[in-house]
Amino acid sequence: MENNHKVLVIDDEAHIRRVLEIKLKNRGYQVLQAKNGQEGFDMIQKHQPDIVISDINMPIMDGKTLCEKTSGLKKERPFLTIIITARINPEDRDWIETSQDTQFMEKPFSPARIVEAIEQYLG
Amino acid sequence: MKFKRISIALLVFILTGIAIFTQLMIQQEEKASKKDIHNKGNQIVSLIALHSIHDFEGDKRNFFIKTLMEYTSSHGLVYCFINDQNGKPVVSLTPGNLESEIPNHIQTKSLAAMGLVYQPFETMGSGQKIYEFAKPFFENGKKTGAVRIGLEPPFISIISMQRVSLLAMLSFFIISAITIVYYGFVQALAPLEQFSEKILNKRMDTSVALNNSTKRFNVGSMVEDFQKSLLQFKDKSKAIETINQELASKIGVLRFEKNQVITILNSIHFGIIITDIQGNVSHINDYVLNLFDRKRDDVTDRPLEEVIPDKEITSFISKQESLKQQRPNSHMDITFPELAPGETYRISYGCLKDDQKTAIGKMIMFNNVTKEMQAEKATQEFTAHLSHELLTPLTTIKSYSEMLMEGEIEESETQKEFYNTINSETARLSRLIKDLLNLSKIEMGSLTLDKGLVKSDWLFEDCITAVQGAAQRKNISIHRHVPDNFPSLIGDKDQLKGALINILGNAVKYTPENGDINFELREQDSKVIFDIRDTGYGMSEEDLSHIFDKFYRSQDPQIAEQQGTGLGLAITSEIISLHEGEMKVKSKIGEGTHFTVKIPKEEYYLGKQS
Repeated sequence: MENNHKVLVIDDEAHIRRVLEIKLKNRGYQVLQAKNGQEGFDMIQKHQPDIVISDINMPIMDGKTLCEKTSGLKKERPFLTIIITARINPEDRDWIETSQDTQFMEKPFSPARIVEAIEQYLG
Repeated sequence: MKFKRISIALLVFILTGIAIFTQLMIQQEEKASKKDIHNKGNQIVSLIALHSIHDFEGDKRNFFIKTLMEYTSSHGLVYCFINDQNGKPVVSLTPGNLESEIPNHIQTKSLAAMGLVYQPFETMGSGQKIYEFAKPFFENGKKTGAVRIGLEPPFISIISMQRVSLLAMLSFFIISAITIVYYGFVQALAPLEQFSEKILNKRMDTSVALNNSTKRFNVGSMVEDFQKSLLQFKDKSKAIETINQELASKIGVLRFEKNQVITILNSIHFGIIITDIQGNVSHINDYVLNLFDRKRDDVTDRPLEEVIPDKEITSFISKQESLKQQRPNSHMDITFPELAPGETYRISYGCLKDDQKTAIGKMIMFNNVTKEMQAEKATQEFTAHLSHELLTPLTTIKSYSEMLMEGEIEESETQKEFYNTINSETARLSRLIKDLLNLSKIEMGSLTLDKGLVKSDWLFEDCITAVQGAAQRKNISIHRHVPDNFPSLIGDKDQLKGALINILGNAVKYTPENGDINFELREQDSKVIFDIRDTGYGMSEEDLSHIFDKFYRSQDPQIAEQQGTGLGLAITSEIISLHEGEMKVKSKIGEGTHFTVKIPKEEYYLGKQS
């Protein structure tokens, strides 16, 4: 089950990070964790993950800002961003749909669906 | 009646005229006859004096006397005397004793004269008027005698043919003139008569015209008509005056109402600009003047684009104007960062129409919707927060149970951890739901306090007991500070306990391990005071200003890390308010937070009803 793909999970909620960590590790992914957008951005630059799973509502830096900041990085090295959000309002849908390699997953999400999305992206 | 008077006056006038005229004519005739007599006298004496005095002597005497007598009778001679040089009468032709009635000085002067003499006189007896003419006889340059004749003035009759015919002619002319003048007047005054008719009848129709033509002109009736017309005119002008007064009062009322409308427009709390159809400002209220910092005189009758030089507004208005049918809710939201920073205005456009649906102007309204926008935003934020707060524990529960069900967790320790997490998140969710229900009850005013006597020492100890476990886990010491006599208060013990536990719980939550919390109970100014001081992370001023906002969570990672619904302090503050109490909070980052809750003290007496 081992694979070389790195997944970064960014969420201020420890329980969410924990469940995704176990789920993804069970699938052989290397899992990295960050508590907010800023931490996440630093880790993206440092570890260059293949997949980023991020919440929207977070202290310090939210998911939207993170997406905007990483759009430049994606041009050099594309990666999938899965946005987990409580509710998709029209404004959010707009920027998510126009961002490169970005998907959204509504809360409450299913860990199995996230894995499916990742596998589909990675082919 | 009046006409008769005028006729009499006219008659008197005519008679006086005739009398004066006759007098003048007589005077003129007398003057002419006087001149006539003078010429005649001169002629006769000159003719006689041409002869030699001797012709009246001797043989020729009879012939001359006879000729003289004939001449005299035909020329109205009263007398004729011829005297010689010595005054001796040669010829004396006179009726009766007239000679003796001639005053002596007449004869003396006539006889002594060397030329023609003319002397009018009156006879001494009968007073008859006589004109004496005398001339001397000359023979060989020597005066030989003198001739004297007396002529009487002709009788001038008042009734002479000449005069009568002249008068008749004159009368004819006068009557003709009067007639002509009269009909001239009639012709000239005819329109006046019609005019009076017109005034009387108000309008000129055919029947009136016919009537008018058959009616004879009559000054009296015309004057009467005119009088009637004047009276009617007077009535009419009085009526007009009344109408004018009514109009003036109506104008006054309208002006008052207009001013009232302007006052209303100026006092309403939104901006309004009214323009004419050309787009020139006809009214602008104080609200707009204040907003754009303009003076009324500078903007009245100016084009709208000049008054509000904002491209967005101008294009909005022209876009609205181009729409054939106005949408009822057409508006735009705009901000004026320089004029009114932070404020949002909703601009609406309306076309003003008259009764015939013809456009007569435009109306632009400015409504400050900042508060509405804020409220809307707050509602949106609240909903977003609420869904986030509800969905976060739900997501954990769902994903964890999915993992367990799908057999992803093999280790029993991890399984146990997962079950615990599901359990705690369920508790979190139920707490949140309870808090929400509580808050909505408070906000809707339907939270009923179960008031009763609350002994502050019990309340104090219950709160400590509730947080003791959490404090011990973090090795936090709670220091009690209590008075000798515990005051009592009236309130809902459970709600008050909940409120205080919230504060004390926050103190435990946001104080790092091994910290201290001071919990003090005291009485001051009839108030029961709970002081909670921690040695926690403290809050920034920004956080401090939002701590009572629903769902507000600090961005500070140390604080944000801790679980919380974001509703606790909102509920606490509402409950304290319901107890007529007050809550103060001071905080400093790195030093800690200090909450003070004051609740009115209630002395408990037996038998007293609360």
